[in-house]
Amino acid sequence: MTVDHSPAWIALNTHADSVRDKHLTEMFAEDTQRFEKFCFSAAHCLTDFSKQRITEDTLQLLIDLAAQQQLPQRIEALFSGEKVNPSENRPALHTALRQPKELPLLVDGNDISTEIHASLERMEVLVDQIHNGQWRGYDGSPIKNVVNIGVGGSDLGPLMTCRALGQFAPEHIRDIEVHFVSSMDGSQLARILNHIDPASTLFIVSSKSFTTIDTLTNANTAREWLVDNSGLPIELISQHHFIAITASPNKAATWGIPEKNQLHFWDWTGGRYSMWSVIGMAIALQTGNENFRQFLAGAHKMDVHFRSAPLGENLPVLLAMIGIWNINFLDIHAHAVLPYDGRLEHVPAYLEQLEMESNGKSVTLQGDKLNYATCPILWGEVGPNAQHAFYQLLHQGTESVMCDFIAPAIRYQDQGEDLQAQHQLALANCLAQSRLLALGDSVLDDADNAPAHKRYRGNQPSTTIMFDTLNPESLGALIAMYEHKVYVQSVIWEINPFDQWGVELGKHVATSLLDQFTEQASSDTDCSTKGLIQYIQRQRKESNDEG
Amino acid sequence: MKVKVYGADLTAWVAAACMARAGNDVQIEGPQSQLEKPLHDISALRDEPGLLDQIQLQMQTGRLKRTGAQDIEADIHWLALEHNEIEKAQNIIHILAKAVPENLLIVNQCNFGVGATDELQNILSEELNQAIVYIPSNLQDGKALQGFSQPNRITIGSENNWAITTTRALIKPFLQNIEHLLLMTSREAEFTKLAITGMLAIRIGYINELANLADQMDVDIETIREGMGADPRVGNHYLSPGCGFGGLSFNQNIARFSETFEKRGKDSLLKTVISENEIQKELLFKKLWQHYRCNLTDKTVSVWGASFKPGTASIDNAPSLKLIDALLAQGVHVKVHDPEALGNLLNHYHNETNISFCNNAYDAIKDSDALLLVTEWPEYWSPDYLKMLQDMHIPLIIDGRNIFDREALEMHGFTYMGVGR
Repeated sequence: MTVDHSPAWIALNTHADSVRDKHLTEMFAEDTQRFEKFCFSAAHCLTDFSKQRITEDTLQLLIDLAAQQQLPQRIEALFSGEKVNPSENRPALHTALRQPKELPLLVDGNDISTEIHASLERMEVLVDQIHNGQWRGYDGSPIKNVVNIGVGGSDLGPLMTCRALGQFAPEHIRDIEVHFVSSMDGSQLARILNHIDPASTLFIVSSKSFTTIDTLTNANTAREWLVDNSGLPIELISQHHFIAITASPNKAATWGIPEKNQLHFWDWTGGRYSMWSVIGMAIALQTGNENFRQFLAGAHKMDVHFRSAPLGENLPVLLAMIGIWNINFLDIHAHAVLPYDGRLEHVPAYLEQLEMESNGKSVTLQGDKLNYATCPILWGEVGPNAQHAFYQLLHQGTESVMCDFIAPAIRYQDQGEDLQAQHQLALANCLAQSRLLALGDSVLDDADNAPAHKRYRGNQPSTTIMFDTLNPESLGALIAMYEHKVYVQSVIWEINPFDQWGVELGKHVATSLLDQFTEQASSDTDCSTKGLIQYIQRQRKESNDEG
Repeated sequence: MKVKVYGADLTAWVAAACMARAGNDVQIEGPQSQLEKPLHDISALRDEPGLLDQIQLQMQTGRLKRTGAQDIEADIHWLALEHNEIEKAQNIIHILAKAVPENLLIVNQCNFGVGATDELQNILSEELNQAIVYIPSNLQDGKALQGFSQPNRITIGSENNWAITTTRALIKPFLQNIEHLLLMTSREAEFTKLAITGMLAIRIGYINELANLADQMDVDIETIREGMGADPRVGNHYLSPGCGFGGLSFNQNIARFSETFEKRGKDSLLKTVISENEIQKELLFKKLWQHYRCNLTDKTVSVWGASFKPGTASIDNAPSLKLIDALLAQGVHVKVHDPEALGNLLNHYHNETNISFCNNAYDAIKDSDALLLVTEWPEYWSPDYLKMLQDMHIPLIIDGRNIFDREALEMHGFTYMGVGR
């Protein structure tokens, strides 16, 4: 029996019939205590669900569903290292990565906590060496630029966090500029290589398998650039300008990076859950080792909350269950992430991967095809900018969209009143938008008289997530909250959030197509692909003839 | 005259010693922590040739005394505090303003920046002849006593006639070699002081930049330098390329002057000079690193000269420190010799195990894979080449001050690298 035939699901379906047609305006009119009832706090985060289309009954029925799906046991399974990723036959132990050193964690008889901290400490030694100006490039210069080459989880998490916490670089550390390169077409890399000095540039090649074509192509180009500029042999360059972060030490060594310049993590660390491991080296380089530890500590705080708080007060559980409510019972399949703080500009892209790669699935853990919706389309943008882009659709389009508004309560405390006023302006906009989305133009006195094209229908549900200030610890907690939300939803939907088989086939097909660019397009390729290949071939031929 | 000197660093002690030697009755007031120290434990005295002897001599004659804060009876109060002690100066002046209501003369030798003396004057009453005069300190480490007692120029920054006359009387004994006795406002004098220091730093920065270019262009910077120096508009002074400059006051002054520009939203030439100088301090390391193809593990490297320049034991901002740090970080065993600065160096590196402090220059090169010449002490200029060849493991010399003759060294079988040649 799939979950959609379970009693708790059916109860929610029945309940939804009574709520579905109720406008948020009515809900707020009926109950002025909604904020007190639906606002929860833990581990730096405050989540206000009162602008969601829920009642107290909804919440209770959702908790019943979670209990029916044995969520508490599944949470325990996650933390204790059970093989929660059955298609790859392994646990998903990102929570172990941020566990304090003193707490042992036995998996298959090994205390992985010791390994984790040994790996982090090795990373810290390298980070210190670079911050002290004692990692030397080929001409003896200290490193000034670090380029993180990685894609997916090896890119989005570190990039998002570096941008969010850039201001936290302590003064005593050497100024290191951290760059990110991911795209296989080389355009990001080419742009960076144009204005940095090769002798003082270090590349971090992050790849779990050390076979990711996107990453290795960029790494090869980077190495070529160094060899050309230095006139030194490739072995020497590989030894002094590259750090490998990988779960495949042998492959990294074969590429040319000696063991001493490798940092390791484990196959039980999923790519999109990996920035808490040495994959986060770019974060430590940008913000300092101490801040990186604080970032882990913040996530650990949320872990403790998630593991111990009752379901009805459990932030990640509530966030997840209300998502389920919107998707499966109110039929909403679009989710916008809207941070009202420019430092969080990469959070939407990060969550796109976290949520959609994890829960964009359509078969159960048992391999049965689903007949209910799972992960919605998720996208986002820094809120104030999105207001000038896609908010029109949120307010007056035909799609129902659920939104997450994310903002720190205070900012710029020691940077003058003008900037503080700017933050307050952003917050005022944040609250205005969520209010308008929920209540529509009923917030005005005479809205009824406005022409149709000026009306705001409202009833778009949203969650507002706030924290006191944005710092390494609060960001760690925020991200851990979303990670756990994703896990909770996967438990309800009975899917595996830790594999990503859907990204595999494309790579193979690309490899087989690559040959056809230079040869005759294969006759068993579909006519569209074949036509496009022939167009490319024609253009190249013309260009070569002219050249 | 009765003079009271306030301060604890080189400038204060040199002023006190020289004024006592000229017959004044001098008291020097430093912080309590220094007052408790025996004289030979005070590094400012130890590091400056002849200063400790002179202080002891003046104390024996009774003309120089160390004192606590309470004594304020003096004809002239001489402030020689550190650049970051302006609050202390303000406190002293507040006390003096009350205690000496009329005819109070304060000489300010502190580098508090442009306009600081005017600000201090505001605490005082000009009508009652409570005046503060700025006399910039021009002393150079290693030649400090001579610089104070026989300067060829003195600048007096004041507009108060009574103060100028009294100050002149005090400095009269030091005017025998004087070429320029300059009078200007204290603000202009403060600006001039920093402008001179900045100019010198820029000259050194420029010749170093030229040397680094010469390195890549197959020309000898020494020849270029001679050519440049022959032009009277350029001249020879402050035109020696090398592995960076150091020193306490020189660096502090240019750093602070550069900040003055930055406060007004301008990036200064000086800022670039300062940051390039920090890079230059690692030049010898870079040459060594390249020579050994990026691998210095387990090498033994000798360093000759650690003080920031010859004639002083001071290692403040010395290029040797950055160099030794870089070597140690690569797992190099460092053997260092310096005629004066080993004590300071030992204090600085007391936790390091991979460094040997050698009292004899030749001990430092035994089994060495390279000799790096950092400070051009006279005793290094004509070493025993044959002994060096015998003792060194690899006869490689990297000369950070261009004191050796390349051809002679290569003839002996050394590999030689200089700066810009």
